[in-house]
Amino acid sequence: MAAIEESGGGGHGKGDGKVRAKKMSTRVDMTPMVDLGFLLITFFMLATTMSKPTSMTLAVPDKTDDQDQEKTEPLKASKVLTLFMGANDDVYYLDGVAADDDKAEASLKTTRYGFDLRSVIFASAKRINAANPKDEKGNDPFVVVIKPTAVSTYKNMVDVLDEMAITKSKRYALVETLTDSEKKLLGDKIVPKN
Amino acid sequence: MGKVRPKKHAPHTDMTAMTDVAFLLLTFFIMTATFKSNEAEITTPSSISQIKVPDDHIMVISIDKAGKVFFGVDAKPVRAAMLDNIGQAKGITFTDTEKAKFSLQTSFGFPLNQLKPWLNMSKEQMPQVKQPGIPVDSTGASELADWVYAARKADNQLRIALKGDNLSKFPVFKDVLANLQSQNINKFNLITGSEQAPAGYTNE
Repeated sequence: MAAIEESGGGGHGKGDGKVRAKKMSTRVDMTPMVDLGFLLITFFMLATTMSKPTSMTLAVPDKTDDQDQEKTEPLKASKVLTLFMGANDDVYYLDGVAADDDKAEASLKTTRYGFDLRSVIFASAKRINAANPKDEKGNDPFVVVIKPTAVSTYKNMVDVLDEMAITKSKRYALVETLTDSEKKLLGDKIVPKN
Repeated sequence: MGKVRPKKHAPHTDMTAMTDVAFLLLTFFIMTATFKSNEAEITTPSSISQIKVPDDHIMVISIDKAGKVFFGVDAKPVRAAMLDNIGQAKGITFTDTEKAKFSLQTSFGFPLNQLKPWLNMSKEQMPQVKQPGIPVDSTGASELADWVYAARKADNQLRIALKGDNLSKFPVFKDVLANLQSQNINKFNLITGSEQAPAGYTNE
């Protein structure tokens, strides 16, 4: 392919007589340009990160000044769904039962992240919201207490927080410390293995 | 001349349309390009959150899958000022070349006493050194807290983002949290990938 092609025999009509200026075709060979274009496209496609990361905001209660904190009454176990984040993406949960209750051992159940956990939260929220009246501010009585353990991962925590957003559970608490009865209840499920 | 010969024609395709599309795509990719940075590889968990990570005035605390903590600030002048601040607080003086080198690093993970030797390495050696991570402990007064303080002193509009790996254990996160809470930082962003919300979810 020539860079600029001549138009073949444009001005040699039959017996025209007149001498015309040879018409030059304006067609430009674009192959190198296209080559370069696609090379650049390939480069930019490979070099870009397409999915821009999103972020979820996390606000934690202030630790430093607890003197002016308003006194709140302790949560009633019957209104609380407690999630313990265990190893290997297991979630142990207590639905409306306190860990120091006699029934705790029998009612401790295991579920998985994702759809299973979502169903558990929905079922529990429905049951607790139906059984208890709304408080004076009009909030639902249902509270989720999230207890990460030493064997759980960061992903687990994000998953649970995400689940809170999905199920629209407004009242949840991330509690880092386990009580003695909870430790006893979970036993070696939460002991790191190495 | 009597014979009429078929004129030989090189097969010629009109590439205008293709070129148009190609350059349109090219323009798009150039416009949207944000380059991958070659910092520690962290695969973040995904969430349905729609909030974008802010582009500027941000410090990122990263936790890799081994639980090592890295720290980075977005703007170069802030990085240099931050190094100045921490040098003053700890009684270390950094030379101008060290500052210049430091301000080129998007994130780093060195204890303070190992930072100077690292900054004195050649540009080729620097990326090859294994970074041990910034010391963090549960007391809330470890070196990470000093860095956060120094960074906030350099730029008081800094927002804080936490970027954890899928596999990093919770206790490390808890320690990082303790370091932030000890400075009265109670609100921050968790950087996640985006994920489709499950069916039936409505965003009110």
